[in-house]
Amino acid sequence: MTQMIAIAAAELRLMLRSRLALIGLAALLLLSGIAAVTSAVQTASASATRAAAQAATDEQFKTQPSRHPHRMVHYGTYALRPVGPLAAFDPGVDSFTGTVLFLEGHRQNSATFGAARESSDLVRFGQLTPAFVLQTLAPLLLVFLGFATVARERERGSLRALSAHGASAASILGGKVLALGGVALLAMAPALMALAWAALRHPGEGGIATLIALAYGVYLLVWVIGITAISALARTSQGALVTLLAIWAIVVVLVPRAAAGWAGVAEPLPSRVDTEFAIAADLRRMGDSHNPDDPHFAAFKQRILKQYGVATVDELPVNYRGLVGAEGERLTSELFALYAARADAIQLGQSARLETLGVLSPALAVRRASMVGAATDVATHLAFMNRAEAYRYQLIQRLNGLQVTQVSSADDRARSRDPLADQRTRISADFWKTMPQFQLAPSAPATRAAAMLPAMALLAFWLAIGVGLLWLARRNLDQTAA
Amino acid sequence: MSDLKREAWLLGRSRAALAALLLLFLCAGAGVALGLATVSRDRAAIDRMLAGQPAEESALAAFVDDAGYGAYYGFQPTWNPPSDLAFAALGNRDIAPTMLRIRALALEGQIYENEAANPELALPGRFDLAFVVVYLAPLVLIALLHDLWSGEREAGRLYALQATPAARRHIWGPRIVVRAGGVLAVLLVPFAVGAAITGTSPLRALAFAGIIVLACLFWTAVALLVARRGNSSAVNAASLAALWFALTLVAPAAAGLAINAGVTVPDGAALARENREDVHAGWDRPRDATMQRFLALYPQHAPGSALPPTFHWKWYFAFQHLGDLHVASASKAYRDGIARRADLARAAGWLLPPAGLSQAMARLARTDVAAQLAYQQRIRAYHTRLREFYYDYLFSEKPFGPADLATVPRFDPAGGM
Repeated sequence: MTQMIAIAAAELRLMLRSRLALIGLAALLLLSGIAAVTSAVQTASASATRAAAQAATDEQFKTQPSRHPHRMVHYGTYALRPVGPLAAFDPGVDSFTGTVLFLEGHRQNSATFGAARESSDLVRFGQLTPAFVLQTLAPLLLVFLGFATVARERERGSLRALSAHGASAASILGGKVLALGGVALLAMAPALMALAWAALRHPGEGGIATLIALAYGVYLLVWVIGITAISALARTSQGALVTLLAIWAIVVVLVPRAAAGWAGVAEPLPSRVDTEFAIAADLRRMGDSHNPDDPHFAAFKQRILKQYGVATVDELPVNYRGLVGAEGERLTSELFALYAARADAIQLGQSARLETLGVLSPALAVRRASMVGAATDVATHLAFMNRAEAYRYQLIQRLNGLQVTQVSSADDRARSRDPLADQRTRISADFWKTMPQFQLAPSAPATRAAAMLPAMALLAFWLAIGVGLLWLARRNLDQTAA
Repeated sequence: MSDLKREAWLLGRSRAALAALLLLFLCAGAGVALGLATVSRDRAAIDRMLAGQPAEESALAAFVDDAGYGAYYGFQPTWNPPSDLAFAALGNRDIAPTMLRIRALALEGQIYENEAANPELALPGRFDLAFVVVYLAPLVLIALLHDLWSGEREAGRLYALQATPAARRHIWGPRIVVRAGGVLAVLLVPFAVGAAITGTSPLRALAFAGIIVLACLFWTAVALLVARRGNSSAVNAASLAALWFALTLVAPAAAGLAINAGVTVPDGAALARENREDVHAGWDRPRDATMQRFLALYPQHAPGSALPPTFHWKWYFAFQHLGDLHVASASKAYRDGIARRADLARAAGWLLPPAGLSQAMARLARTDVAAQLAYQQRIRAYHTRLREFYYDYLFSEKPFGPADLATVPRFDPAGGM
């Protein structure tokens, strides 16, 4: 043990004397600091902007003048996706989705206005966030600092000297891992501080933030162990460096992109127009409210007449137009839900493919764990879309309900011909104040922790592979010594 | 020639070098294949939209008895077809829509809609030939060239080789040509196959190939400059990898961050909301005032502008258009902000060759931000034609029936400005 610590200390002293190592580390810490600060500032500003926009749209809805409730159905409202509590650390897909959803009757819109579409083409080179630094840049720094850690000793012949002094292969490798691990901890510090900062500002997020930190800890430990093992297995420093750079490029750069490209082609998502056409065709089959002879709406009419025990629509104590509107909205919304569920299943399936490919790249696994934990993954976005759709339906049906009960049937029929009747169909502005507001709480940390488990298991698998490599390296060193 | 053959033979004996070239070849091939698959999927989606349009129009024809109905319910397809080079540089066709159906209502409420897409697939970036050229090819060039001289020195052969007559012409020159040429070949062959399958115009394909050559030349030059400095192979490899990493990963991301921080784009959500406010307030504004403002823009419709005491579509579409005009300057500021960011990024590309080359490829393939903005301008121009087509009916009280649906102007993807 003391030997191991002595070897680690010697390695660290060597790094401290190397200008290149210090420059590399300083550059990473600087980048990490810049990423942490800019990400925190941007997230705070996005969060404030969206909260203000949500408040403004709610206020606008409540202060609309007296009017026909169907006008409010078209006036609609907006739902803004709240910024995730840990988004300052890992904004995940936040930029790559729309953040604003217009909610209106009859239609299901897409989320609009996301940062990626408002950026230059450089956005595709990656975003400098604390998570990006840890996933992509930190492993490369460790490669630079650690590729020669054992190979150098072998090239200089100092490995023999070490074993002559009684250092076992295990303590040599252990010491090297310890030294490089220390550097990794230091390199992680600014990003983890950003994580802690975000967690502190959102009570209840401490546990999940710790789990995210653990995921990154394991990820970088895999690199530390792997780098040491390959440095020990390689014949030359150059060989170790080239091998490690190739592994880094494949694991961090190549596989995540290739995996995404493959998932998109393997499980294609219908376009928005495909879905709109399919829904329109289904609706034409089910019932067409424009058509007075439509069988669905004829049956609907009979049911309503029977329910109220009257013979004609004119005798109904309520506004039949409102009932038809609500029935039409029910039909379309059922289809919206059906098609959204299919599209969601495809998107989650694509993401599950990416998760499975974590067996090819620990970078994919840690990215997944991080996004899921920070609630910035695609599932969180879909939850927002579905919650907003449920809210839209509820709001529109309440407005249709007002048309049923508050707008006289005769006035409603006459309003396109008679301006006075039109005036009478305008109901009090007070009704708008009674409508519910859109709210979306972030998913419970425990739910997110459970969703992180597969990715965490993959990281454990990678740790096992790293330890296996290190064991190979130890055997190899023992044989050389013997 | 024999020098080249010898060097090719030597390269072939290095298992690591062959593996690197093979991997690059596979990646370039996979990039082209994925690009072709993505482009054909895009085309198929556009074809489905155009094929589905008649069914939508015949459904509309069943109840349209007024130009107002046609204008209100008649969605028209617009699309941005992939260019003949899109397969090689997919650009941002995944994050900005390439199809949009619009109608004659206020456009600001329609034009920002997004395509259905999984953002987790967009997050890591595209896997296409442009990615292979900008990210992976430099790494292979570095692997093949970093120890050009130091490797021989470390093997103890350098002085003997330098002493041969005309070493530069007979050894180093051919060696560099073979190694860089090998990288170039494994990139260009898949590209040529992709271009042949797509039927890319030869001049454009040549221009794109030129960018690939430039990228390889740049990294070859960088690698040779570092390799000649006389350091050990390991130091050369580390320095080159660090340079690659700084130029390709860090600097473009940092430049993007700085550009976004430096150029603010107006809040899109506020713009859309303001448009809705103005359009819906139109219902409650004095109708004569609305018509007067509209007629100031379209005086030719004054003769038919008298309104009945009840609802009329001409009034409705008048205030829809006024709602767009109400936010026109904000909308322009929004577009200009994005365009300004794109311009600055292009300027940054002159300092950061990987970013510059990548943008040059996307620009040539018309898959960049500028191409998206141009598509939006085409949508705007088409929307104007669509509106004005219906104004003619609404203001002249010319009857409009199912047969007239066939005369609605169509979007022209090539221009129609």
